[in-house]
Amino acid sequence: MDNLTMTTPERTVMEDVDQPAEPPPADESAPACTFRVKNLSIWYGEKRAIDNVTLDIVSNAVSAIIGPSGCGKSTFIRALNRMHELVPKTRVEGTVLLHGEDLYSNDVDPAIVRRRVGMVFQKSNPFPTMSIGENVIVGLRLNGVRDRKFLNERLEKSLRMAALWDEVKDDLHKPGTSLSGGQQQRLCIARALAVEPEVLLMDEPCSALDPIATAKIEELIYELKAKYTIVTVTHNMQQAGRISDYTAFFYLGRLIEFGPTTKIFTNPSERQTEDYITGRFG
Amino acid sequence: MIAPKHILGTFDEVLASLRNNVLMMAGLTERSLERAMKGLFNRDDNLCANAIADDEEIDQLEIQIDRDGVAILLRFQPVASDLRRVVAAMKLSSNLERMADQATTIARRARKLNQHPPLPEVDLIRPMYEHAMSMLRDSVEAFVREDVDLGRAVVARDETLDELNRSASRKLIERMAQDPDQLRGYLNLIFIGRALERVGDHATNIAEDAVYAAAAEDIRHQTLAASA
Repeated sequence: MDNLTMTTPERTVMEDVDQPAEPPPADESAPACTFRVKNLSIWYGEKRAIDNVTLDIVSNAVSAIIGPSGCGKSTFIRALNRMHELVPKTRVEGTVLLHGEDLYSNDVDPAIVRRRVGMVFQKSNPFPTMSIGENVIVGLRLNGVRDRKFLNERLEKSLRMAALWDEVKDDLHKPGTSLSGGQQQRLCIARALAVEPEVLLMDEPCSALDPIATAKIEELIYELKAKYTIVTVTHNMQQAGRISDYTAFFYLGRLIEFGPTTKIFTNPSERQTEDYITGRFG
Repeated sequence: MIAPKHILGTFDEVLASLRNNVLMMAGLTERSLERAMKGLFNRDDNLCANAIADDEEIDQLEIQIDRDGVAILLRFQPVASDLRRVVAAMKLSSNLERMADQATTIARRARKLNQHPPLPEVDLIRPMYEHAMSMLRDSVEAFVREDVDLGRAVVARDETLDELNRSASRKLIERMAQDPDQLRGYLNLIFIGRALERVGDHATNIAEDAVYAAAAEDIRHQTLAASA
C-alpha cells in the first residue's frame, strides 16, 4: 500500500517514480496480471453502467475493450484509475487490485492512482497555454519536481518514447496546439509517460486521427507494451485485431467475453460476440 | 442455428455470391469427373471431350472466386465465422480446380484406351471411382451444411481409397508382366487410378476446410502431430 498512500512531504515524487512497482507474484500457470478486477459494478446515480465484471488485465500486453456505444467500455477503463469519480453521484462495488493493492481502499489517494495509471483520451488535449516542452513535464512540475537537468532528461525520454522527439526537438518552445492532430495525440502520450506510470489507459486514442497518424499511434502502442501494460477502448474492430493481445467484449455493462484476440476474432465462444464483431448486431 | 443477417446488406450479398460460385464450381467438377469416367466405362469419346471442355469453365470460376474472396477481405475485413467461410471458400475453389484437372487427365487417358480393344481390368477402377465420387460429394456437402461430423467422416475414408488404389495398381502391374502387349493400356489404367486417388486427397482437403469453417478446428495432419 506504500505507493498508493504516499502523501508525506519527505518522499519526493522522483524517488517514487524511480521505484518500479513490485512485480506480481510469479504464477507458473498464468501470465502476470497488472489488474485484477472482481465483481465490479458502477452506478451513475440510479443507472448501473458496469454490471458485476470480473476480469484480469495481463501485464505488458495490450488489452482492447470493444462493444457498442453505451456498453460501459469507457466507464470500465476509467474505473481502472478512478477517473469516473469525476462524474457526480457515482457508486462502486467490487474490487480493483493494481498489483495486489485495492485502488478503492479508503486510504488510497486518487491522485496517486491516476499518476500510476496514466490516461490518453479520444481527442488530444494539450494544455493550450503551454509550449510543447511544458506540456510534457507539467505532471512532474505539479508533483514538485524542480531539478532542471532531470526535467530535461525526462522531457527528451518521454518524447522519444512517444516517437515525437525527432519531429519537435527544435520546436519545444512552440505551443502544443501548433502541432498536427496526430502529433498532439503523441504529445499527450508523452505527457502521460513523463510521470512514468505503470499502466497506460487509452480511450479511443485514434478515432480522431487520419490513417497515417493512426498507424504511428498503433506502432507506438506496440512498442510501449514492452514496458507498460496497456488497456485501450476502440470502436475499430480491425484496430483491436491488429494491436491487442487480449480482447474484452462488453454489452449493456456486462462483460460478455474476454480472451486472446486471435480467439475472439476467429472463433468467439459467445454468440453475442460473434454477432457484434461480424456486424450482425441488432 | 441460422445466423442473423448482417447490418450491411451488401456484405450478405457478396458472401452469398461467393458461396454460389463455389457450389457451381463443385457441381461442374462433379459433372466433369462423371463424364470422364463414363467416357471410360462406356468407351464414349464425346463424353471425354465434354469432360475436358468443362475444365475451362471451372478454371474461370476459380479465378472469379479468388478475385471475389480478395475483394471481400479488402472491403469488409471479415472476422470470426465470416472470415473462416471466406478463407475456406478460396481454398475449396483451389481444390476443386485440381480435381477438375484430374478429371481432364482421366478423360485424356480414357480416349487413348478407347482406341484399343476393351480391357476387362477397367472393373478394377470402378470401386475407386464410386469411392472418390462419394468423397467429393460428401466433402462439399459438409461445407454447405457446416456438418463437422460428415467432414471428419470423409477424411477417415481416404485411407480406403488409397488401399483400393494400391491393390488395383498391384494387379495391373501383374497383368503387365503377363500380357506385355497391353502394357500401354494397363499403364493408362494405373494413371487413372492414381488420378482418382488424388481426387480423394482433394476431397479430404475440402472436408478439412469444411470442419475449419464450421468449427474453427484445424484437423489437418493429425497423424503427423500425434506421432511427433
